[in-house]
Amino acid sequence: MTTIATDPPRNGPSPLERSYSRLGMLLIAPTIVVFSAVIVYPLLAAIYLSVFSIYTPTLEGEFVGADNYIEMLTGGVFWSSLLTTLIWTVGTLSLQIVFGVGLALLLHQNIWFRSLARSLVLFPYFLSTVVAVLVWRWLFNDLYGALNHGLMQVGIIDMPLDWLGSMPNAMIGVILVGAWKYFPFVVIAVLARLQTIPENLYEAARIDGAGPIARFWDVTLPQLRSVLTVIILLRAIWDFKEFDLLYLLTGGGPVTSTQTLSLLVYQEAFSLNRMGQAAAYSVGMMLVMLVFMILYIRRTKEES
Amino acid sequence: MTKTTGMKTGLNRRSVLTGMAAAGAAAVMPRRLYAQEQITLRWWSPQSSPEQLAAYRTQIANFEALHTNVTVAFERTSDEGYAPQMAAAFASGDVPNIVTHLPSFAVSNYWSNGLVEPFNDVIEMIGPEKFYDGVNRIYEIDPGQYAGTSIGNSAANTMWLRTDLMEQAGIDRNPRTWDELLSAVDKMQGGGIYGAPLPYGRNSMTSLIFIGTIHQAGGMVFSPELEVAIDSQETRDALEFYGAMRQYCPPGATNYSWGDSLTAFVAGATATGIYTGRVLTNVMDQNPSIADHITCDVFPTKSTDIAPWTFNDFPSVFIPKAASNMEATKQFAAFLYDPEGYIQQLHAAPGHVLPVLSTIAEDPAYLADPIIQKYKAEVDIMSAAAADGFNLGWESPEHKPNTRAGEVVNSGVIAEMVQRVILNDENVDEVLSDTARRIEEIAQS
Repeated sequence: MTTIATDPPRNGPSPLERSYSRLGMLLIAPTIVVFSAVIVYPLLAAIYLSVFSIYTPTLEGEFVGADNYIEMLTGGVFWSSLLTTLIWTVGTLSLQIVFGVGLALLLHQNIWFRSLARSLVLFPYFLSTVVAVLVWRWLFNDLYGALNHGLMQVGIIDMPLDWLGSMPNAMIGVILVGAWKYFPFVVIAVLARLQTIPENLYEAARIDGAGPIARFWDVTLPQLRSVLTVIILLRAIWDFKEFDLLYLLTGGGPVTSTQTLSLLVYQEAFSLNRMGQAAAYSVGMMLVMLVFMILYIRRTKEES
Repeated sequence: MTKTTGMKTGLNRRSVLTGMAAAGAAAVMPRRLYAQEQITLRWWSPQSSPEQLAAYRTQIANFEALHTNVTVAFERTSDEGYAPQMAAAFASGDVPNIVTHLPSFAVSNYWSNGLVEPFNDVIEMIGPEKFYDGVNRIYEIDPGQYAGTSIGNSAANTMWLRTDLMEQAGIDRNPRTWDELLSAVDKMQGGGIYGAPLPYGRNSMTSLIFIGTIHQAGGMVFSPELEVAIDSQETRDALEFYGAMRQYCPPGATNYSWGDSLTAFVAGATATGIYTGRVLTNVMDQNPSIADHITCDVFPTKSTDIAPWTFNDFPSVFIPKAASNMEATKQFAAFLYDPEGYIQQLHAAPGHVLPVLSTIAEDPAYLADPIIQKYKAEVDIMSAAAADGFNLGWESPEHKPNTRAGEVVNSGVIAEMVQRVILNDENVDEVLSDTARRIEEIAQS
């Protein structure tokens, strides 16, 4: 009986493996550095600032422990702004989905000037928010705005409506503008998915006697489910932290009726110069957003 | 004892080499030094209409011609946006060299936090005797120390009137009291024209105009000792008047700020207006058809025994303490008052920013402006009102400088009070109590 000599068992990685490992670390290092600089550092800085009472222009202050968080949880303004944020997010997101899916279905049909229409529909999304808000403020203007003028011309209203200065008009106004600005994102994503749905599914549905509505519910919508889930989660995150559109349209008013959490953080940090309290609010906001993010991450894992 | 055996000059080899190296460095030094001496001064201002920018360019060009190694870069900010921009600049240490046209109460807040360079040198360079009496007082927050000075005066709550509409309505004199104003706007409103463009938005204009309204009722926001005094009968009266005016304002006044209010009057959509003298140049440029039918007056008060109260934000010039090239910066700050450029700056919006130097106000070159000549009476009214003007940083001659005024205005707490009572119809007592508490918190924070 003979035995074949073998190498003694290795206790650690080979030189080649160690070399690959070092190379891997080297290659990933820039990403880690950038990620740390733009994500980890601001995050830790916000948490650090939130336990201090800090005057914004000097960034000097004193340690106050959990006082800022206690004020956040007991003060009421955080909760009312959170409610406003949720109303805005749900309202504008719902319209974005409805308009976006509707227009994507339309643009999926063989209509005249389809290519031109597909290009033009992206226009609001590419337009600068400042420009978009200026246009909409002009449209909403009570004295020379086209919207009031048009409604009065067709006899729907007798007097100009106060679109942005009273409730519920102000919230409806910002929700409408938000939906107009961001629905093209939904159109792009849904249209891309629509073009990949196999035609034979529709043929089978037709043979089974399904009409257009039944085909939409039984074929199109199930096929869109995965992409819609991702769109809803992404847009929910983006709408939740929307700042410029709301700030420029209403400034959070009337009173605080359209003051979302982003506007609250801004006001605390720069109007009241209370950077510590602003940081506490932003940490609170981040925790709420974490729910969306976890859902998104879980969803994308399932997809992969 | 060992004697050094070096050269007779006393220079050893090391010294010679060092000297050669120094000479070599010196040969290239002029260019480098020259390059180092080239400096850029950054100038921030929220006032940046095209005409004002043209005036600034003149001032910059004249200064750069005198100082060839200096470049001045103008950067815009805004009335609603300067607070965050300044906060970010101070926090980062990347501050502009000079800031103009911010309200005095903003400067006093920065001063109280040690962020502003004393301005005494600049005032000396300009010549303190040239300023109108009392112009610099509001900037003397600590005795003998000036945080800045005014680059102009303004009468922010001047009441503008359409004389043709007054005539049509049978109104023979400018309203002096609130009752007269309410009666006048009631008569003039109609035919697509509203009575007034008072602001009810959640912004600084609503806060500033309503602070004036409280004073026009005989009240105040802070007592002379800077105790919160807003919860008073006078504020209730002011809210009642302001609420009564709502029916005479356009529907969108609930979101009006400076630009909207100005445009409403200039466009001819309202019979009265409330703004500085910028109305004059805008009417001439944008709606000359009403140019012969406008006049102005101080805003009415609750009764004739209450003196008018004009909101003058004392548009400032100040230098952040962390600014670089301090000597050049101070020279430029003083140069802003050089007659040629200063007069062009004032002419950029005649009557909007009024001169603070008596030598300029009497200068024929200043008086030669066609708008100032056409509206001499109106400019005189605004000049007199602004000279007796106040703001939240200094509510009366008896008041101490209020270094928290900027934060009170920027917090929007006063505008919110107006909206809660007038738009939301909330209980006045509760809102006033809440407002007083919030102002107290800001004042003590």
